[in-house]
Amino acid sequence: MLFTLAWRNIWRNRRRTFITAASILFAVLFASFMDSLQRGAWDNMISNVVNYYFGYVQVHQDGYWKEQSIDKAFSLADSLEQIGMVDGVSAVLPRLESFALAAAGETTSGVMVVGIQPEVENGMTDLKNRLVEGQYLSEEEEAVLVASGVAEKLGLKLGDTLVLISQGYHGVNAAGKYPIKGIAKFGSPDLNNQMVYLPLPAAQYFYGAPGMVTSLALKLDDQEDIPEVVGILRAQLDTSAYEVMDWEELLPDLVQARELDTAGNVIVYFILYMIIAFGIFGTILMMSKEREYEFGVLISIGLQRWQLAFSVWIEVILLGLTGALAGILLSMPVVYYFKVNPIRIGGEMASSLEKFGFEPVFPATFDMQIFLMQALYVFILTAVLALYPIFKIRKLQPVQAMRG
Amino acid sequence: MPLLAGILTAQNDPTAKEIIQKSDQKMRGETNIATIKMSIIRPSWQREMILKSWAKGTDYSLILVTSPARDKGTAFLKREKEIWNWQPTIDRTIKMPPSMMMQSWMGSDFTNDDLVRESSIVTDYEHKLMGMDTTENLACYKIKLIPKPDAPVVWGEIVTWISKEEYLQLKSEFYDEDGYLVQTIFGKQVKEMGSRLIPSVLEVVPADEEGHKTRLEYLSLEFDEPINPSFFSTQNMKRVK
Repeated sequence: MLFTLAWRNIWRNRRRTFITAASILFAVLFASFMDSLQRGAWDNMISNVVNYYFGYVQVHQDGYWKEQSIDKAFSLADSLEQIGMVDGVSAVLPRLESFALAAAGETTSGVMVVGIQPEVENGMTDLKNRLVEGQYLSEEEEAVLVASGVAEKLGLKLGDTLVLISQGYHGVNAAGKYPIKGIAKFGSPDLNNQMVYLPLPAAQYFYGAPGMVTSLALKLDDQEDIPEVVGILRAQLDTSAYEVMDWEELLPDLVQARELDTAGNVIVYFILYMIIAFGIFGTILMMSKEREYEFGVLISIGLQRWQLAFSVWIEVILLGLTGALAGILLSMPVVYYFKVNPIRIGGEMASSLEKFGFEPVFPATFDMQIFLMQALYVFILTAVLALYPIFKIRKLQPVQAMRG
Repeated sequence: MPLLAGILTAQNDPTAKEIIQKSDQKMRGETNIATIKMSIIRPSWQREMILKSWAKGTDYSLILVTSPARDKGTAFLKREKEIWNWQPTIDRTIKMPPSMMMQSWMGSDFTNDDLVRESSIVTDYEHKLMGMDTTENLACYKIKLIPKPDAPVVWGEIVTWISKEEYLQLKSEFYDEDGYLVQTIFGKQVKEMGSRLIPSVLEVVPADEEGHKTRLEYLSLEFDEPINPSFFSTQNMKRVK
């Protein structure tokens, strides 16, 4: 009976209902949109760095990651096979990485020269699709693939010669010149400004480290398998000789920056919720004020106060539910639109974002969980605010209320 | 009698400076041409290269790598205070910037700066005879070298052991300004090379890195062959063999 009363009350004053529900709807929409965008930016950043280069798990000689010195290279043969056998690992990408000075004419620039097995590498990082010019590398050739930022800085074009100078394995003299076979573009400005790829055998000769690699990046079937694979590898490999690291250990800066940004956003969310809460509270306040006369009459003719309070509460809860559901429904196309058409930031803002290693593109993440969570938060907020009319009704003096 | 005694001591006991002078002349000569096997020794690995070197006085020298094959033809030219590096694999001559001077030379315990250092142990230091000592079973003068205030020297002091008979530098300890030992150079396996008796092996041992050592072994050595100063040019560096 109380429920029917509440239901009828909702439809009695449609405009009031519409305003209240709309304020809840927009609250859910804004909160979901913000959360999706923020997560999207970080997901994009991480996939730029992790999927397109680092991989979710890497194996090195113990202590390599701390020093990143080529002297910590290890022989490829013995360790490779058993890693590829582990469940969940779909590919093993051997790499020989170190830094070098790249020169062209009078210009020089520090670059990271990475020896790769071109086909295997492509299987995980999709390097071939990042080519903007030229062709992909093949295993047995002496040519380089450079990131577009490197080519730009050095003023090099396809087919030009790139000169590399470095210190190789155990301090040997490393110098070589290679034709540029392809130019690739990376989303992450960090990668785009320093990557130079060589086929693995050419890199091993360049660094004077035949048959050696500095790291094995693992391609996993599923991101969820990370802890399991890391666990198995740590048990199988000799951990005094090798280190197994997941991407969060490889890139602690990135993880921390994300945490910091998320923590900073808690404050923004708090303010957002405060504004939302006051908006919803305003409509509830108006409603209870407007209906004081009605409440007075109902109590006078014998409706118990708790019955009245309960029916009003149900009314607000129903409004909250409707608003939250509508909010989810409306958020989906909006967020989806920004997922497909990411926000691109240009001008000075873009270059400052690039300095922080961000691609200045903000695609939204489309995740049902975000909508559900935000709708839930707003709903709980509404449910708490709905306690106001209850207090109001408890203290209501029917006579005064009816005199208005 | 006191006069005679004075003459006798002068003959028997040369001053510290004279000892250093004789020893320096002996090792250097007017010019020298050498073939050297350089071994870089580390706790877990070891690498060897064969070098050919030409030197004239303290101003000019040229070092050519002849082995291993991947580095063959790489050359270093020193002209006064500059070092040039010829990299045949990239057809380039590189002038070493000052920022690279303290870096390791070819992965050894020498720095690039060691190649250009112009200081002379004769003229840039005050010499003080500390007494007699024995190294490698030879009686030695132990001499302390303290750099003169305006000398272009990185060391705080050097203590060197020079054999009494042949004026051979058998051991030198290099200290920094704070008095800590930085490296020790040993002269070993004394034999006749280029008609002079000299230590044929030099070992550089850095003080703070256990198991690290760079060993230079003279495979051949000739002194005082005339070399034209134009030999030490960046052009010649590319074609010298």
